[in-house]
Amino acid sequence: MSHGFDLQPQAGAGPAVPDNAALAAVSALLDKLNRALVKLSMLALIMTALVLTYSVVSRYFFSAPTDWQDEASVFMLVGVTFFCTASVQSYRGHIGIEALASLLPRRVNAVRLFFVDLVSLLFCAFFAWKSWTLFYEAWSEGQTTSSTFAPPLWIPYSMMAAGMSLLAIQLLVQTLARATNKKEAS
Amino acid sequence: MNELTLGALYGAATLVVMFSGMPIAFALGVVATSFMYFFMPASSLDTITQNVYEEMASITLLSIPLFILKGAAIGKSPAGKDLYSAIHTWLHKIPGGLGIANVFACALFAAMAGSSPATCSAIGAAGIPEMRRRGYSPGFAAGIIAAGGTLGILLPPSITMILYAVAAEQSLGRLFLAGIGPGILLVALFAGYAVYRARKEYRLALAIYEGGGEKSPYLEDEHFTLRQKVEMLPRVLPFIILLIGVMVALYGGLATPSETAGLGALLALVLIAIVYGVWRPKDLSPILSATIKESTMLLLIIGMSLLYSYVMSYLHISQAAANWVVGMHLSKWLLLAVILLMVIVFGFFLPPVSIILMTAPIILPPLKAAGFDLIWFGIVMTVVMEMGLIHPPVGLNLFVIKNIAPDIPLKDVIWGVVPFVLLMFFAVLLLCVFPGISTLLPDLIMGVK
Repeated sequence: MSHGFDLQPQAGAGPAVPDNAALAAVSALLDKLNRALVKLSMLALIMTALVLTYSVVSRYFFSAPTDWQDEASVFMLVGVTFFCTASVQSYRGHIGIEALASLLPRRVNAVRLFFVDLVSLLFCAFFAWKSWTLFYEAWSEGQTTSSTFAPPLWIPYSMMAAGMSLLAIQLLVQTLARATNKKEAS
Repeated sequence: MNELTLGALYGAATLVVMFSGMPIAFALGVVATSFMYFFMPASSLDTITQNVYEEMASITLLSIPLFILKGAAIGKSPAGKDLYSAIHTWLHKIPGGLGIANVFACALFAAMAGSSPATCSAIGAAGIPEMRRRGYSPGFAAGIIAAGGTLGILLPPSITMILYAVAAEQSLGRLFLAGIGPGILLVALFAGYAVYRARKEYRLALAIYEGGGEKSPYLEDEHFTLRQKVEMLPRVLPFIILLIGVMVALYGGLATPSETAGLGALLALVLIAIVYGVWRPKDLSPILSATIKESTMLLLIIGMSLLYSYVMSYLHISQAAANWVVGMHLSKWLLLAVILLMVIVFGFFLPPVSIILMTAPIILPPLKAAGFDLIWFGIVMTVVMEMGLIHPPVGLNLFVIKNIAPDIPLKDVIWGVVPFVLLMFFAVLLLCVFPGISTLLPDLIMGVK
């Protein structure tokens, strides 16, 4: 079983290309979008480290405590998590228990993999839909967090909704690829 | 349907979905959502995303990517190799000194990086070839690194402990401190075994040589001048200062654990820029992308595990299961043994993060009722989960070793690891008999709870 840790960094390796031309085009487009989001998330990660360091420095050396750094960091890291989840899925980096893979006959295994992708897709699509309704409520009702800084909650909700939607699209492409690929992927 | 039957159904559904091969994060979400649909009010499905967000949006949990960034920054630089070489030049005179150097390097690296696989690959990449070149048997060399790597989740900062602190509602600072004593105990046990085993292999090599056989590299003398020893220090000291600085910031009350994570990540990036010239976007990109890959995967599992426990608690499954365990009236230590056995079995299939979040609501109330200190239990559970990282069939560190030393047969690696698993088991027994090994340091520094 893989634990998803970066044992063999695959620099530049992209996701598997579907056989179907239209799917391959969508997949390539998604890959571009995913790469851009990962770059954005890299910046967000460094920004978060800077923000938290700034808060220590400003409190300790300038006796000026900040009240926004925790929420700003949470928002940024929520963004990093959801924005990159489709990218991780694109090369199947979300870990699972693959103990059955070697025990099942090849055809049964192919059916299993198809259903795993299909059910994952249904779940992520449902989650994405509910995230958008959550975002809509927060936006229309002007919801904020309960702190004194009180930033609007639609910011993290929108990132969660966008990220989960992208993940659902990624899974849709992968599920369709499983159904249309001439050669069964291992 | 009563709560225990529902619980059994929940557990069975989880097993089926997980073993289907579905990614753990989605599997937990699918099971939780299905049970919400069938057994909870219809409106609960409307708040599913809000539940996940509210559980995840904790700065303690979200500091995990920053701890991973710090580990990746140090792990992907040559710091591991330098650390190992420096310790080796200073310890090579001691019998089995090379083995000890590897154990020490693993411990120090683990304390900086906080991840077992990262420690294994950073120290093992230099340590395993060097130990084999000096005549150590491949299994022994692999065993030292696999076991040394597990110190990564015991010595602070440890991602596993962050999750335990959140799940058990315990102080993270106290938990981090409680890991230090047992960490040192394991280092001592591993180092002691390394000396014993190296001497045994040395004597065997000597006997073969004296009997007219081949001269093993074990019998060669190695010498480092004082100048060579001193020259190794400037590359290592900054990282030791980082390690100490971050701890001082945390325990001196200068920074919260999440601020420590941010500060540590930034300092690690600054250090690798100064010491190794790693600062260009091209150099930083693999570090950041590995961090994002690992933390996204982990945080999604964490978010869905929290949803999974929320459903378990709403349907009173966790409470019923906890009451059922309490109702069995097991003696205190039998209860602990049964629970730890369960953790070991889970360790066959699941990463520590999922084990903690999925089992905490069930196992912690009975343990608390039986009078166990939950900080102490967190440490014992961590050591047991460390064993899961190196025992077959799925010990993650075994695969890391396979990756860095592909020519050592898996059978040799596994046999090499067995003595270390036994030592860890011995450490768990010692912790049970002398809980002070773990609790003394936090009590001294933060006061008795």
